[in-house]
Amino acid sequence: MSGTKPDILWAPHQVDRFVVCDSELSLYHVESTVNSELKAGSLRLSEDSAATLLSINSETPYMKCVAWYLNYDPECLLAVGQANGRVVLTSLGQDHNSKFKDLIGKEFVPKHARQCNTLAWNPLDSNWLAAGLDKHRADFSVLIWDICSKYTPDIVPLEKVRLSAGETETTLLVTKPLYELGQNDACLSLCWLPRDQKLLLAGMHRNLAIFDLRNTSQKMFVNTKAVQGVTVDPYFHDRVASFYEGQVAIWDLRKFEKPVLTLTEQPKPLTKVAWCPTRTGLLATLTRDSNIIRLYDMQHTPTPIGDETEPTIIERSVQPCDNYIASFAWHPTSQNRMIVVTPNRTMSDFTVFERISLAWSPITSLMWACGRHLYECAEEENDNSLEKDIATKMRLRALSRYGLDTEQVWRNHILAGNEDPQLKSLWYTLHFMKQYTEDMDQKSPGNKGSLVYAGIKSIVKSSLGVVESSRHNWSGLDKQTDTQNLNEERILALQLCGWIKKGMDVDVGPFLNSLVQEGEWERAAAVALFNLDIRRAIQILNEGASSGKGDLNLNVVAMALSGYTDEKNSLWREMCSTLRLQLNNPYLCVMFAFLTSEAGSYDGVLYENKVAVRDRVAFACKFLSDSQGSPLDVLKDERVQYWIENYRNLLDAWRFWHKRAEFDIHRSKLDPSSKPLAQVFVSCNFCGKSISYSCSTVPHQGRGFSQYGVSGSPTKSKVTSCPGCRKPLPRCALCLINMGTPVSSCPGGSKSDEKVDLSKDKKLAQFNNWFTWCHNCRHGGHAGHMLSWFRDHAECPVSACTCKCMQLDTTGNLVPAETVQP
Amino acid sequence: MELHILEHRVRVLSLARPGLWLYTHPLIKLLFLPRRSRCKFFSLTETPEDYTLMVDEEGFKELPPSEFLQVAEATWLVLNVSSHSGAAVQAAGVTKIARSVIAPLAEHHVSVLMLSTYQTDFILVREQDLSVVIHTLAQEFDIYREVGGEPVPVARDDSSNGFPRAQHGPSPTVHPIQSPQNRFCVLTLDPETLPAIATTLIDVLFYSHRFPSDLLLTSSSGELWRMVRIGGQPLGFDECGIVAQIAGPLAAADISAYYISTFNFDHALVPEDGIDSVIEVLQRRQEGLGS
Repeated sequence: MSGTKPDILWAPHQVDRFVVCDSELSLYHVESTVNSELKAGSLRLSEDSAATLLSINSETPYMKCVAWYLNYDPECLLAVGQANGRVVLTSLGQDHNSKFKDLIGKEFVPKHARQCNTLAWNPLDSNWLAAGLDKHRADFSVLIWDICSKYTPDIVPLEKVRLSAGETETTLLVTKPLYELGQNDACLSLCWLPRDQKLLLAGMHRNLAIFDLRNTSQKMFVNTKAVQGVTVDPYFHDRVASFYEGQVAIWDLRKFEKPVLTLTEQPKPLTKVAWCPTRTGLLATLTRDSNIIRLYDMQHTPTPIGDETEPTIIERSVQPCDNYIASFAWHPTSQNRMIVVTPNRTMSDFTVFERISLAWSPITSLMWACGRHLYECAEEENDNSLEKDIATKMRLRALSRYGLDTEQVWRNHILAGNEDPQLKSLWYTLHFMKQYTEDMDQKSPGNKGSLVYAGIKSIVKSSLGVVESSRHNWSGLDKQTDTQNLNEERILALQLCGWIKKGMDVDVGPFLNSLVQEGEWERAAAVALFNLDIRRAIQILNEGASSGKGDLNLNVVAMALSGYTDEKNSLWREMCSTLRLQLNNPYLCVMFAFLTSEAGSYDGVLYENKVAVRDRVAFACKFLSDSQGSPLDVLKDERVQYWIENYRNLLDAWRFWHKRAEFDIHRSKLDPSSKPLAQVFVSCNFCGKSISYSCSTVPHQGRGFSQYGVSGSPTKSKVTSCPGCRKPLPRCALCLINMGTPVSSCPGGSKSDEKVDLSKDKKLAQFNNWFTWCHNCRHGGHAGHMLSWFRDHAECPVSACTCKCMQLDTTGNLVPAETVQP
Repeated sequence: MELHILEHRVRVLSLARPGLWLYTHPLIKLLFLPRRSRCKFFSLTETPEDYTLMVDEEGFKELPPSEFLQVAEATWLVLNVSSHSGAAVQAAGVTKIARSVIAPLAEHHVSVLMLSTYQTDFILVREQDLSVVIHTLAQEFDIYREVGGEPVPVARDDSSNGFPRAQHGPSPTVHPIQSPQNRFCVLTLDPETLPAIATTLIDVLFYSHRFPSDLLLTSSSGELWRMVRIGGQPLGFDECGIVAQIAGPLAAADISAYYISTFNFDHALVPEDGIDSVIEVLQRRQEGLGS
């Protein structure tokens, strides 16, 4: 302050008022101005608030520090620390409560005059005021005054001094503090510790000291330079911030030897550091000659203890106004709100915007959190918009077991809703491939698996012989098949694509007929053209145009097609290559792309995504040379692995655990290496070996559970004992029978299919017989028993244990979504 | 108790009164613009005879040599005692450290200069005496040497060989004392308010030599101090035990005192109402030795 730099304070209780203090004290009232004009005499603080000056108090000169009385009553009582060390009580309120009226003007005088650096009201005993003073040789620098000392005259005699006869007013001078601390030292900052009424933290000349008023001869202290502006985190009472020049130190009072962390040093000296009272772990800092307030968010580290746990801090800056900031004050209740004052006393009301954390739900909704608000953005329940979202689509498909029919593979496109011709084509291709491999297996069982699911491109690649592009054999419009040049592998690929039938017949005719019958004239025409039968293509188009069901424009296309010329620079070629892009039907489009393309480069055909994959693959088989194929081992591809993992995670996120398990089972059949390894083992308390080691060759699919699966070995000993040392296994907390025995039938709701006579081994592999236990109290037993127990109870079944096991299990309360979903 | 050896290397100078005009500029600079000169230790004492300056080497550079300026040969180091114990020692000033610091140093023939301020007392010892000082005081104090603003503990040297043994007995010379009638007021100022009162201070220092009466920072008890000047002739810098022979008896009588050494004489400030007993105590010292 000292005349040049104003400070600012919010009223602790009447939260629409604040005080600006420099050479005088000015009380302001804040009003919202959202829907009203600015009143005369009001100062605009922000877009939606303005301040009105209520009163000015200039009775206390030489102000060095000000502290607002923390009790409700009287509301506007302030303590002012002066340059000569005196502390004066003053008021800005209009109506003085009579009980406290005689407090106003009371002065608390130290033995030796020196500057009062800091003041702090005790948060628990509202009448205690601590003052920190500069050093005076052997005098004390921390004085604790009781402002109502006259009510306890036995402890502190009050000296009433009548001033010169001219003054009628009596001034109350108190010269005997309640406590005197910090001898031969200077006190630069103070704060009471909320842990106890009698604990005071002080930034002394070269150390931070904790004074315990119950025993004033003792103090706890740590030598440091960071002694300015000590302040306790209002949310974690053991966390304290202090600063020195540009550096903030964060202390943990339980581990007071050194700072738990120091924040990055700022180039200019700090002037104020304050914890946000409305949000945990948010520290605001201000440096000299700066127009920004730097914020440190220690959200993720509620209690930083120990050297190892260096917490992550998010650092950011806010700029409440354009000018330099002299001081700021957090609003006591309004979230993240602060008021700043500049050296020339302009003020600004400012709310620090919260960082937004955002999360996509796996089911088409978006959530974000901002401050204490949580927003959800969900799509409207509209069929069209839902259809657009891939997440919804995937979820519905997953729900209908899409992809899991491994017997009749083609049926998967029906599971997907039988709406997408591309999917239909894909699944049929896969179906053909599967059939082929099964045929191969029958033909040569010895060669089993060599080509299984290796991918159609690999099949093409596996033909080692160089196949010349059949483009060279293209000669005009003659119907000329050149399948002789296609080797066996390519024929196989064409078979898989469905273009030609199984067996030695390489004629594409039957396929064309089937397409025509289904009304897919465009596709049929394209396939005919790719088989270099342009006449048949035109004929098919004509058929389509005349059938009535097809597009009449097909005739036009046929006409255009008939104009084909081999001439490189012809008008026909030029027009077709540009106009083809306007054709809506992808097959018509690729036909012209094919006819106008250069030999060997068929990108216009191959990358036309609307054309079914198998048609494009078949096209590639016919026209590309071996070098143009790009064979990849699909399953080993990183991207594919990534897709698979993400799909599994997605299924988990949807709580489709059974679908995911089914997926894993099918996957592990194809790729044994994808089997997840056992992650949890139950070890015997006596020998330390895993009790499931006898069946360790059969890893289970469970995650997080240890399955006491029982191997099918008929020679195995009793399952109720450890296979390593034969000592008995622990007992189930509910049935008190050793683990390894099958669960007694569940009382009440056991399903009928469980009663079907099962072999003992199968019985033991049932989920109900699995080991399960609480990670907290370590009690447990048969999974079935535990499940039924926790259906009705919150506490652990062991009688003396009060562990709320089920509540500790976050996933335990979730229900698989399949059972809930329609 | 902790003893801090501060970083400053201090020179002691005497400026003859007629030469003040020549040094007005550097003195104002040292007083009001300490950042400009980078001077961190500066003391100016006006006596009827001269102005005594105690400045660190940075400040010394600001002062051009002239016929008016007398410089003591030695470089001095500044010691400061601080106690973190809450022990209730009521007597203020030099009295507190008389027994623990001043007397042992006198016994080991270390010449000291004292400079009492409102906040604390500085003890100046010659740089060449430092090892003796450390050896002498290591028994009683944790000694820290400040390096770059950080206190670094000084290793205690246990070998007492090579150092002169303590020679007991008071200082051979008993210096006369005199006490003028002036009354003194001891004040402190917040550095931030320095610019506001700069003109007043300049006026007091260089022109009017009279302090204004509307004082802000008086002690609440309104106490005033009387001065006792030690020495009939200039004391010089080599004699040891001068501070001890004053501080010792005052400490024994539990009288607070400020003690300020200057180039020629030493001065003790004692409470006004105790001046008679102080003079009595100090006279008795003279008689005790004389007899």
